[in-house]
Amino acid sequence: MFEISINDNQYKIEVVKREGSKVTVSIGDRLYDLDVIEPEPGVYSYLYKGKSLEYNFFAKETDNKQYEVVSGDKHWDVEIIDPQRRYRKNRAGDDDDGGNFISTPMPGQVVKIFVKPGDEVPAGTTVITISAMKMESEYKVVVDRVVKEVLVNEGDNIDGEQPLITFEEV
Amino acid sequence: MIKKILIANRGEIAIRVMRSCREMGIKSVAVFSEADRDSLHVRYADEAYFIGPAPSAESYLVIDKIFEVAKQSGADAIHPGYGFLSENAELSDRCKKEGIIFIGPSSYAINTMGDKITARQTMQKANVPVVPGTTEPIIDVDDAVKVIKEIGLPVMIKASAGGGGKGMRLVRNEEDIVSSVNAAKSEAKASFANDAVYIEKYIDSPHHIEFQVLCDNHGNGVHLFERECSVQRRHQKVVEETPSPLMTPDVREEMGRHAVMAAKAVNYSGAGTIEFIVDDNLNYYFLEMNTRLQVEHPITEEVVGVDLVAEQIRVANGEKLRFKQEDLSQKGHAIEVRVYAEDPENNFMPNPGKIRYLSEPLGPGIRHDGYIYTGYEIPMHYDPMISKMIVWADNREDAIKRMSRALSAYKLSGVKTSIPFLKKVMEAPDFVNGKYSTHFIEKNKDILHPDTDATEEESDLAAITAFLDFMNQQEKARPAGGGANEKNPWKEFGRRKGVLRL
Repeated sequence: MFEISINDNQYKIEVVKREGSKVTVSIGDRLYDLDVIEPEPGVYSYLYKGKSLEYNFFAKETDNKQYEVVSGDKHWDVEIIDPQRRYRKNRAGDDDDGGNFISTPMPGQVVKIFVKPGDEVPAGTTVITISAMKMESEYKVVVDRVVKEVLVNEGDNIDGEQPLITFEEV
Repeated sequence: MIKKILIANRGEIAIRVMRSCREMGIKSVAVFSEADRDSLHVRYADEAYFIGPAPSAESYLVIDKIFEVAKQSGADAIHPGYGFLSENAELSDRCKKEGIIFIGPSSYAINTMGDKITARQTMQKANVPVVPGTTEPIIDVDDAVKVIKEIGLPVMIKASAGGGGKGMRLVRNEEDIVSSVNAAKSEAKASFANDAVYIEKYIDSPHHIEFQVLCDNHGNGVHLFERECSVQRRHQKVVEETPSPLMTPDVREEMGRHAVMAAKAVNYSGAGTIEFIVDDNLNYYFLEMNTRLQVEHPITEEVVGVDLVAEQIRVANGEKLRFKQEDLSQKGHAIEVRVYAEDPENNFMPNPGKIRYLSEPLGPGIRHDGYIYTGYEIPMHYDPMISKMIVWADNREDAIKRMSRALSAYKLSGVKTSIPFLKKVMEAPDFVNGKYSTHFIEKNKDILHPDTDATEEESDLAAITAFLDFMNQQEKARPAGGGANEKNPWKEFGRRKGVLRL
């Protein structure tokens, strides 16, 4: 499951099924059954519910994660947020923004939970370890908190952005 | 006879001239700056020579460099296109001195018509109507006030040496006269180091209608009817059409006659354009003469059936015009739109960049005079106009529909263009009804705003487009395994999906 950011909106996106040019994609809570081909480089021709639609695109960077997509008079800036990128981004900095729950930016598996409801956790305490793409990462609280609820168990598979542990202010 | 023409220009107009050269069996010589090695005009020409750095003042505008190339290539004529050196009297004179044919008028015609005041005086002598106003530059404020009261408000105060709207002041109220005169003078002084102004009657709902003329060196001159150029933004033409929806046969004939008189008054040679300002009641006044080929010349070519560049070359060759006025007529209707690399959603800011994808519309009645191609990077040094699209149809209504169709099929990505805006012009009731003046864009600015609000479905498909390409690229980047020759990146999809899922 990837996430995609388009004109300030962010959705989960996934190719559900694919057979030849027939592809089923889920984006947010919508499901699209499409017939898609790339007749020439940078152009997708879609058949969708009987309509023939065309979208042009190009990657703005060589890593192919940021795109500009054009159709008719409309254009979009699209960014693909893959688990790796989100992972690195988060490792680099804000594990917890001081909000009321902890979540991960990408899907993964819960390795270890260090707290239980009612625990007082000072800033910097590791509360949960998550494994994703063969790497484990520790999630810490950045401000003093009290654990309200633990919503997952060790060994659970989790989605990105899913609340894992909720907190209350001290 | 001209055998080889140097085109002292770049981009679309250079290519336009080369097309006629090729049809006439004439070799073409391109010149290019540092920014233009990959410009299509270089690729299109028979020969091409480098003339210097990207800024046009160090390349396309340097007469010495043009002549070096002319000598080096053995060109026997120079075509200046439009812009750059096209209205430079020195180039015309220098050609004469160097024994190279200048495809354009004499320096006398360029100079006389190039100065607003001498042009106006010449027209009055030739009995061509001019906008009521002053013929002498005015420096004294009291004189200016007196003249304004004689002409009657509203008036426009313009810098004598001006252009591009600088030093221009509209005065509607008596109490503003003195302050406006002073403001125009100081602006003129700052912009042109010359604070002389002239004053003319302001026309409230003006139409910009111009006449194409063609004169040979044997005293023959014809006009090739009008072009309606009232759709303008910041004094720049955006859409042109012919015939003008405002015109009547009687006025057309009379204006055409005046246009030819105007050209003959300066012994004009070649193709030129007389611009008129016309009010709602078809009163018309000489505005200025453009002593060169116009950007919008193709609509005349489509409707009159004459290749203006070919005729320019024939005239320069010393040939007599091949047709008389009575041989010429207008057939059908033509519209031109200028496609600029600019962002209509962001105050029409120029938007140079790389063309990632280009698919130009084809089909009945469509003509493109452009110079871009997929992969071309539009340089930031020159005009943002990337193409002119011209349609022809049997009548105006069909021409508008055809233009709308063509604009919808004009697919270009990588840079933002004025295409969405042009589409809205074609839909605007004032345009469709042919009832518009130079205030059209200002008056209709609310409805000319491009539709950019996408539906959820459109937006989702855009996201899906990026995502599918991203997945395809990931697939390609994977080390080749057993299926190294896999042609269809989709085939392995199910397998890869399994891998990516955690």
